[in-house]
Amino acid sequence: MSNVAGKRYPAVETTLEPEHVRAFAEAIGADPDAGVPPTYAAVYALFSTAAQLYGDEDAAVDFQHLLHSEQEFSWTRHPEVGETVVAGGRVEEDVERRNLRFLTYATSVESAGEPLCTSRMVNVIRG
Amino acid sequence: MKEAQPYTWVVTREQIRAYAEASGDRNPIHLDDDAARAAGLPGVIAHGMLGMAQLANFVVGWTGDHRRLRRLRCRFSAMILPGDQITFSGRVAGEHDGLVELDLEAQNQKGERVLTKGLAEVSAS
Repeated sequence: MSNVAGKRYPAVETTLEPEHVRAFAEAIGADPDAGVPPTYAAVYALFSTAAQLYGDEDAAVDFQHLLHSEQEFSWTRHPEVGETVVAGGRVEEDVERRNLRFLTYATSVESAGEPLCTSRMVNVIRG
Repeated sequence: MKEAQPYTWVVTREQIRAYAEASGDRNPIHLDDDAARAAGLPGVIAHGMLGMAQLANFVVGWTGDHRRLRRLRCRFSAMILPGDQITFSGRVAGEHDGLVELDLEAQNQKGERVLTKGLAEVSAS
C-alpha cells in the first residue's frame, strides 16, 4: 500500500436527473417534491469522485474493510433538480494509527464555475 | 427557533437495499449477510450515509426549508442494524454570523449513541 496523501483526481460531472433525485428522496423518506435532499450530496459530491479513489491501484483501498467514520458537507447553496455540477476530489490525509488506516477525502463541487458544496469524508480501514 | 420535532427511524433491510440502489453505494456489507460476516460484521449494516440522511430529515423537519442548511456533520460511532429503532435529538447550541448552530445526536433502542459529534448550521432566515 502506498500513501496517497495529496493526490487529486480528475473532476467528475453529474447531472441531477429528476427521476434519480426523486428515487433517492423516496428511499430516504424525504419529501420527493421538495427538491434535492441535502444528503443527495452523497451522490453528486461524494461517490461521484470517491469511486476514483476506491478504484485507484496506487491507493489500494481495501473496500471490504472500509468503514465510513465521519462526514461533513457544507453548502454555499443547494443545487436544483436538473442542474449539472462538477466535483473534484483530493486525498487530504492518509495515515496509519494502531493498525487502522485513516483516509480523509475532500471534495469541492462547483456549478457554472461558482462554488456550491464541499464534502469531507473520513474512512477507517481495518488492517 | 421552535423546539425540535421528535424523529424516530425504524431501520429495515428493504430501505437499506433501496438506499444502495438510489445512492449507488452497493458495498456488499450493506446487502449480503455472508459478505458482511466475512468482513467481521454481525450481518448487513445500514450505510452511514442513510443514517446521515435521516439526520438531515430530522433537521429539515425542525427548521423548515432544506435550502437554509449550510453545514451538516456527524461521526458514525456505532453500527446501525436492520430492526434498530433510532431516535434523533438536538438542541440550539448558539448563533453566529446569521447562522443558528445545532448540536445533534442519534441513539438506538439500547441507548447506544450511533451518530455523535452531530452539527448543523442553518441560516437564521
